[in-house]
Amino acid sequence: MWRSAMMSAVWRWQGLALMTVSIVVSIWLAATGQLILYIHPRYVLFTVIMAVIGLAFVVASFLPRASHDHDERPSGAGAVFSGVATAATLTLAATLMVLPPATLSSATADQRGINSTGVRTDGASVDDVASATDAAVASFTVLDWASLLRQTSDVAFYDGKPASVVGFITRHPDDPENMFYLSRFVITCCAVDAQPIGLPVYLENWEDAFAVDEWVAVDGGFGANPSRQGTQPIVLVPADIQVTEQPTEPYLY
Amino acid sequence: MADAAVRARRSGRRPSAKRGIGPGTIVGLLVGVLGLASLFAVRAFTTRIDGPTLPDAAQDLLTLTYSVIIESLPFVLLGIVVSILVQVWVPDRWIVKVLPKNATLRRVVVSFLGMFLPVCECGNLPLARGMMAKGFTVSESMTFLLAAPILNPITIITTHQAFGFDDGILVARLLGGFAIANLIGWLYSKHPDQDSLLTDRFAAECALPDPHEQRQTKAQKSVELFVRETGVIMPALFIGALLAGLVQVLVPRAVLVNLGSNPIWSILAMMVLAFVISVCSNVDAFFILPFASTFMPGSIVTFLVFGPIVDIKMLAMMRTTFTTRTLVQLTLVVALVSAAIGLVVNYVA
Repeated sequence: MWRSAMMSAVWRWQGLALMTVSIVVSIWLAATGQLILYIHPRYVLFTVIMAVIGLAFVVASFLPRASHDHDERPSGAGAVFSGVATAATLTLAATLMVLPPATLSSATADQRGINSTGVRTDGASVDDVASATDAAVASFTVLDWASLLRQTSDVAFYDGKPASVVGFITRHPDDPENMFYLSRFVITCCAVDAQPIGLPVYLENWEDAFAVDEWVAVDGGFGANPSRQGTQPIVLVPADIQVTEQPTEPYLY
Repeated sequence: MADAAVRARRSGRRPSAKRGIGPGTIVGLLVGVLGLASLFAVRAFTTRIDGPTLPDAAQDLLTLTYSVIIESLPFVLLGIVVSILVQVWVPDRWIVKVLPKNATLRRVVVSFLGMFLPVCECGNLPLARGMMAKGFTVSESMTFLLAAPILNPITIITTHQAFGFDDGILVARLLGGFAIANLIGWLYSKHPDQDSLLTDRFAAECALPDPHEQRQTKAQKSVELFVRETGVIMPALFIGALLAGLVQVLVPRAVLVNLGSNPIWSILAMMVLAFVISVCSNVDAFFILPFASTFMPGSIVTFLVFGPIVDIKMLAMMRTTFTTRTLVQLTLVVALVSAAIGLVVNYVA
C-alpha cells in the first residue's frame, strides 16, 4: 500500500524535480558565465527569462493544492520500464547538479572529424586579407585561418603574415608524431551541433612537451609542410608555443 | 471511509483556496524558497570539489546530453506557459469558434497557427496537448504539431538567413512542411476512433472533466497544469536527450558524410542525421549550412522537413501523448514524403 503511494508521489514529483534542477543549473551557469559552454550566447537572455518564469511556477507548486489523487500509475512491464527510466532521469539530474561543467573534448573532435563538414566561409576571405593590417591579421582566430586554408594553398599568400592563435590539441592522422591539429569547436546553436575545426601544426615530437586536449597559444607563421607524410600542403610552423588556460569562451561562433 | 477522508481533506483545503493566504501558503512558500536556495548552494559548492575526472567519451556524452536539455528548456517552458494561457486564460470561443467549419479548411488554418505562437517543436507538444484538452480533434492537433515548427516566423527567418532562396531550399521546406502536416491530418481524420491514437493516460486526462475544476482559482489551475505538464514532458526530455547524446558519441560522423554526394544515399544519410541530432527547428538551418557544400540540395531539404517532425528527442516526447503504433505510422509517412520531396529537388534543382 505505502509502496504504491510512494510510486504515485515519485510519478508526480519526478517531473517537477527534473524541471527544478534544470532551471537551477541554467540560472547558476548563466550567473557564473558558463551557460555558453552549452548554448550559443544569443540564447542566454531568453534562457534566463524563461528560467525565472519557471522558477516562479516551481515555488508556486509548493503551495497547498486541491487534492489530486487520481494520477494514474503504470503496472506490470510498464512499471518496470518506467522504474528504470525514472532512475535514469533522476541519476542524470543528480550528475547535472554536482559535476563541474565541461567543454567538449578531443574525443568528440575525432568522432566528428576535424574540418570534415567544410569550414564555414564567413570567416576571413582571401580578398579581405590582401588589404588587412598586421594587427588585424594577428587577431585572426582558428576559424579565420581554417577558412583561408580552405580557399588557397599558395605559400606566397601566407608569407609575412604572422599568426597568433589559441586552441586545444587533437591528433593529426597524417604524421601523428610531428603534427597535430590546433582545434576549436564552432557552434551555431548549442554544443550538440559543435563542428570541430583545426589548423595543422608542425612540431617535431610534440608529445614530448604537450598532450592531447591541452590548451595552447601558438605564435608563428604558415608555410610549406616540412613533413614528408600526408597531404596537407600548408601548415602552421610555431615560433613559440605556451600552455594556456582554457578561454572563458571556448567555442567559436 | 475513503469518502470521509476525501471530504475531510476537501473541507480542510477549501478555506485556504478561498482566502489565498493561510498558514499553509506561508509554509509552502518557505519550503519552496528554502529548497531552491539550498539547491543553488549545492550547485555552487560542488563545483569547487575536485572529483576524479571522467574519461573523455563519458564526459562528452554528459556534455552533449546537458546541452540538449539546457537548449530545450526555455522552449519547453515557453510551450507550457502558452499552453496554460490557451487552456486556462483564453475563453473557448476565441480559439475554437473563429475556425472554419469545413474540416480541411480548419486544418489549413490550424497549420498556420504557428505563425502567431512561435514555439519550436519541444514547446509545441505541451501546446498541442492543451489544444486537444480544449476540444480540438486529434488530427487537427497533429496538423498543428507537425506544421508549426516549420511554418513559424523564427524558422523562416533563420532558414532564409542561412540559404536565401538558393536551390529552392526555403520554398521546398515551407511547402513540404505544410503538405506533410495536412496530409497526416487528413489521414488521421479518416481514423474511426481518434482517441485510440492517444496513450491511455493522456486520453483519460482529456476525457474526464476535472472534478476539482470548480473549486480552483485560475491561478491554482495554472500551477496544477504546470506540475502536470512538467511531469509528462521533463522525463521524456531527459530520456530523449540521453539517447541523442549516446547515438552522437557512438556513430562516427564520417560514416554519414561519405554518403553525401549520391542522390539517394545523401537523402537517407540526412534523414539519419536529422533523427540523431535532434536540434530545434529554429536553428537547424544554421546547423546544416556547413554540410551544404558536400551534400545535394534535395538532401538538405529532406533534413529541414524531416528533422523538425521526427527525431529521437521528439519521439520520446510525443510518446507521452500518442501510442507507439501511431508514432511508427507517422514516422513512416513523414519519412517517405520528405524523402520524395528531397528526390524531386535533387533531380529538378
